[in-house]
This record gives sequence, C-alpha cells and structure tokens, in this order.
Amino acid sequence: MSASVDSSAALIPAVAQGDMAAFEAAYDRYSGTLYALLLRILGNAEDAQEVLQEAFVKVWTTARMFDAARGSEVAWLISIARSKGIDKLRSRKIRSDRENDAGREISIHSAFVDKTTGADVAILSQERIAVRNALAELPEAQRIALELAYFEGLSQSEISERLHEPLGTVKTRMQLGMKKLRERLQAFR
Amino acid sequence: MIAHDEAQEIAALDAVGAASAEEERDLGEHLAACAECRRVRDEYAEAVTLLARGLTPVPPPAELRELVVSGEAADNVVDARRRFGSSKWWLATAATIFLALWGWRELTMRVEREKYATQEAEIRRLAEDNLRLSQNNEKLSAEMASLASAGTRTISLSGQQAAPSASARVFLEPERRRAIVFFYNLPANAKDKSYQLWIITAKPQSAGVFDVTGSGNATITIENLPVATEIKALAVTLEPRGGVAQPTNSNFFVMGSSSL
Repeated sequence: MSASVDSSAALIPAVAQGDMAAFEAAYDRYSGTLYALLLRILGNAEDAQEVLQEAFVKVWTTARMFDAARGSEVAWLISIARSKGIDKLRSRKIRSDRENDAGREISIHSAFVDKTTGADVAILSQERIAVRNALAELPEAQRIALELAYFEGLSQSEISERLHEPLGTVKTRMQLGMKKLRERLQAFR
Repeated sequence: MIAHDEAQEIAALDAVGAASAEEERDLGEHLAACAECRRVRDEYAEAVTLLARGLTPVPPPAELRELVVSGEAADNVVDARRRFGSSKWWLATAATIFLALWGWRELTMRVEREKYATQEAEIRRLAEDNLRLSQNNEKLSAEMASLASAGTRTISLSGQQAAPSASARVFLEPERRRAIVFFYNLPANAKDKSYQLWIITAKPQSAGVFDVTGSGNATITIENLPVATEIKALAVTLEPRGGVAQPTNSNFFVMGSSSL
C-alpha cells in the first residue's frame, strides 16, 4: 500500500502500517516545519539535524500510537520534535549560553510572527499566514511568555526571573495566551 | 481532587511545558477520571503547536532525507545509543568514585563539625562552671569574713519533736544585719515542700526557704535582718514548696531563742 501525497491526506496511520512511501511523504511534508522548530529551539544546525533524525525514527517506531481523535498528525509530529529538542537543549546545557541571547531571540521571533505582508506571502501557505495572523493577535506579553516556555523549555519561575515579572503574572499570561490559541485553533481543524 | 476549572488551567500550562511537577500530578489524577478535561487537554496540546506552525519552514539538508528514509537514521540513533551504552561503565565507574570521594569528604566534614560542636559545648559548660565556682568562692569568702568578724553573735537552735536530732547554728552580724545559718540532721524534705526559716519578732517573718537532701545539712545566708534586739527567736517549719507568708503550722523542726 502506498500513501497519497495529497497534502490533506493523513499519513501517519499508513506509516503505522509500515508504509515506507507514506513515511517518505510525511518527511517531505513536515520536515521543513520540524527542522525550523528545532533550529528555533536549539539554535544550531548540527544539533537540529541530529534531533530531526531522532524525531523521525520515533515517528516510524511509534506511529501506531498516533490517535487522530486526539489531535492532528502535524501536532503529533511537532510534539515529538519539540519534546526531543527540549531534551537535547537541557542535556547539553545550551540554555545558559542562550540566555545571553534571549532578548535577541525574542525580538527576532516577534518580528517574524508579525502579520505577513509582501514577498513573504509567496512562500507561505495559506494556513501558515492564518497561523501567524492568529499569533500576532496575542498580546505581546502573553506571546513572549508562551514562547519562552515552548521554545526554551523554561519553567514558570524561570520565565518570571527572566522577565522580572511576578510568578502569578507570568502564569496568568500563559493561561490567557493558551486560551486564545485554543479559540483560534478551531479555524485550523 | 482538583476542580474542572483548575484542571483546565493547569492543562493550558502543561501544554506549553510550564506546569510544575505538583500541578502535573494533580492534573494527571483529575484527567484519569474526567473525559471532558482530557478533551480540553488535547485541544490545548494541539493549540500550542500553532507556535511552531507559524515558523517559516526550513528545508533540512538533502542528505538528511536519505539518512532518514533509508533507515540509516535509525541505525545512527542505535549506534549513538550503543556508543553511549559502551561508555556507560566508564561513566558509572567515574560517578561511583566521585560519589564515594564526595561521600567520604562529607562524612569527614560532618564528623569534624560534630566534634567542633561538642568541644564548643564543653567549653561553654566549663565557662559556666568556672563562673559558678567563682561566685561560690566569693560567697564563701564573704561568709568566712562574717564568721570571723569580732561582732558576730551565735544562736543555737535545737531539734524539736518533728526532728529531735536536728540542730542549727546561726552566726549573726548585728551591725550588717546579716546572718549565716547552718542546719544539721534535718530530714530530707519532699519535692512539694520547702523548709522555711522564721524570725520571730512581734510576729514571724520569713527569713528564707531551703531544701535538705540526703545529708540532712543545709546553709542559708540571710540579708536585711530585723534589728537584732527585736529578734526573739528563730524557728523552722515545713511549708508548701516556695514558702508562705506566715507559718501554716507550729510543727517546728528546730527552734531557739535569741539572747541578744
């Protein structure tokens, strides 16, 4: 059996059946997003490539655990890659080095989640544009708190220290931000 | 178990990897019994991936695709784990040696700290003993000086019915209105009782309380005595511990008249 490479077709159930073509299609479809995520988390290509390999090995070996009723396959793959990326980040203690660059990274990321215009449109899918616009609607303080947790694996108290904000404030911002993301999610399902 | 609202708030944090260990535990307990909150948790888990889905895709190097789809990536991972595994015994040995050295050092430091604390306590105890002995020495010197004073008068108290073999000797310095009293052969008092010395003038005045242990002997020093000529007699009764304002009984243990 060979999976369709139609961008809307689910691939992971076929991968779970040992369909190599579906696995290749999944790689082609998602590796760019996962690699971008890992670059964002790890900050260097070598680590990102190593973790990307590990992530796809895990996809191949655990595909049967994917449950479409619980979420989309892109979310499932992103969760695997993010988890492995954060593990790598922590294991290599990259965090301390990255902290020095934290302000720069936030500003970089803040710049690219701004509403997309001009030439960017040509290289972005409609969904990505919609996602970026949804993210841009988040208040900056909420988005920054979420990004520090998601991309840098920081705890509530670490974020509180980093932003010089009370722990309760940080927690509330993250919860409000997540509620808004959940509301926006309906448009991408 | 936490309420649904709280569970869903924690689920929001958990999705972004920011829930504390305690919150994760509470959430896990709640989710185990709540399908609705599990659904919300799944939605948060999906929603947080929007952060990644907003990133501009970056194509990985072409050779990486070959590694992944050919299965070499899996081999690489296995090899990497095997390499890690083969080096594990070195790590384990190094860790064991480190822990042993660290443990020995900690143990040694702990023993030294305890030894130091014990020595400090001993020094404090000796200093307190020294102070107490110095005070006793001063007191004895004062008592010796009192006894040796030319103006010192002596009053003998004899045992009464309650303690026929008891006795006491009072060395009184009228000029300084001070006395030292030595008691002999008094029965040991019970813990809830005290002996109380009375100076009998127009009426009994307490001159102090004291305890007698197994030896039957005791000594007390009395300051601010009444004018000597007003002292008619001295007597000892057994009273409730700490003494009383006036004698509660006339069962005297020792008693004697003043002839001053």
